[in-house]
Amino acid sequence: MVQASSVEIRKLDKFYGPFQALKGIDLTIPPGKVTCLIGPSGSGKSTLLRCMNFLEEYDAGEVRIDGQMIGYDSPGGSRMPARKLRDMRRSIGMVFQQFNLWPHMTALQNVAEGLVRVRGFSKDQAAARAAEALEKVGLSDKVANHPARLSGGQQQRVAIARAIAMEPRLMLFDEPTSALDPELVGEVLNVMKTLAAEGMTMVVVTHEMGFAAHVADQVAIMEAGELVAVDAPTRILHSPEDARIKAFLKTYHERNAF
Amino acid sequence: MDVSVLQQYAPMLLRGFGITIFCWLFGTVLGIVLGLIIALIQRYSPKPVRWLLQVYIEVIRGTPFLVQLFVLYYGGPLIGLRLDALPAGLLGLTIYGSPYFAEIFRSAFRAVPEGQIEAARAIGMTEATIIQRILLPLGLVSALPALVNFSIILTKETVILSIITVPELMYQVQRMSTETFRYVEANLVLALFFWALVEAISRVGRKLETRITKHLIERT
Ligand SMILES: Nc1ncnc2c1ncn2[C@@H]1O[C@H](COP(=O)(O)OP(=O)(O)OP(=O)(O)O)[C@@H](O)[C@H]1O
Ligand SMILES: [Mg+2]
Repeated sequence: MVQASSVEIRKLDKFYGPFQALKGIDLTIPPGKVTCLIGPSGSGKSTLLRCMNFLEEYDAGEVRIDGQMIGYDSPGGSRMPARKLRDMRRSIGMVFQQFNLWPHMTALQNVAEGLVRVRGFSKDQAAARAAEALEKVGLSDKVANHPARLSGGQQQRVAIARAIAMEPRLMLFDEPTSALDPELVGEVLNVMKTLAAEGMTMVVVTHEMGFAAHVADQVAIMEAGELVAVDAPTRILHSPEDARIKAFLKTYHERNAF
Repeated sequence: MDVSVLQQYAPMLLRGFGITIFCWLFGTVLGIVLGLIIALIQRYSPKPVRWLLQVYIEVIRGTPFLVQLFVLYYGGPLIGLRLDALPAGLLGLTIYGSPYFAEIFRSAFRAVPEGQIEAARAIGMTEATIIQRILLPLGLVSALPALVNFSIILTKETVILSIITVPELMYQVQRMSTETFRYVEANLVLALFFWALVEAISRVGRKLETRITKHLIERT
């Protein structure tokens, strides 16, 4: 069992200039559970996710990881010291839609880099840990490959290995399979299922309704910067009451219908 | 074509070529270092500092090297900066190249995908480590062709150092011309030497490029 963080988001506002991307979001991410964020394009899913490790600065409200506010000293207070923020980020893994592997490093180096530079491992310790992480995502035979010599699915699994090697207590996924060819989606989702089964706290922005339905413990639906529903997947996906959710799910069913 | 005159002047011409190469190398390396520092400061500092550096860049890029060299060599003593011809020339070349190199690095850094920097930030890397491990290696890759290109342009700017009596190749060629009236031979030598230098630089540049992009090119 891994140690798992919780996240509490209260009255979160985020502006891009005059445009309000997040409107008073309240959301609790329970420890060891999988939360899927779904909603139409531009609804603010990425913005919300990126507020959780403060890659995106928020303007009002709070994001707390295990009770500790991230980004600011206190609600409405000043920015937290850079060192403190880095310390908090060490235990938050993030996986991006575009993988964002470092192209000049091999798969092993990509995973080992943070261990050496952030965790202070020796090169050998880091390489051993990195090899373990890559084995876990099924890439033992690709450790020496540079990203340019890996398929999209393999790159994304390296990116997941890079995150889990740091022993995070919270994992954020921003549409981890959206840039992948359909036949490569499964291998990435399988790795994510394994993580979920181990009790990792996961927040997953996704359009994969199957994953949301079968793996998520709760599903949060966003629209136009607002959270319109948070509930168990069966309740949200099968018998939605809100008209907006109905409309949103309808577009999905139509797209995936044969 | 008078070969005996060339033979007579060969040692001087060769020494001049040596000094040309030295000046070029010195000016290029220090210009790159200075340009890199400027680009990094510009990337990480607040507006006023960025703006000041941009003024420096525009002023140096907007004036001929000859004028800058005159100001440095003849104007320097007025503010207590008394330099011999060679040091003045080296400093001049360094300053002259720095804004071009700074601009090359600035756009190369911008070509590094923001997501790769964010990935580093997200695991808690310090900005200094990000610069060292991500930004610089990737920036250098995209900067390399432009760096090589501008350093080739710089080879030819070294001839201007002859005007403040740095005994480089142009200086020796002019001396040979006035002493022997062999203008054609002297300038032919100049052309040949420069062609050889430029050819060598671009070969080294291409080698470096293939080497550092080897792992970055996607298999098709
Ligand atoms: N850097 C930015 N500057 C200005 N507006 C932005 C910026 N980033 C996002 N936005 C806007 O904020 C809104 C929410 O964006 P966000 O990326 O969070 O949406 P999303 O739900 O993740 O969409 P998608 O499914 O397309 O990824 C959008 O309207 C977007 O245009
Ligand atoms: Mg998004």
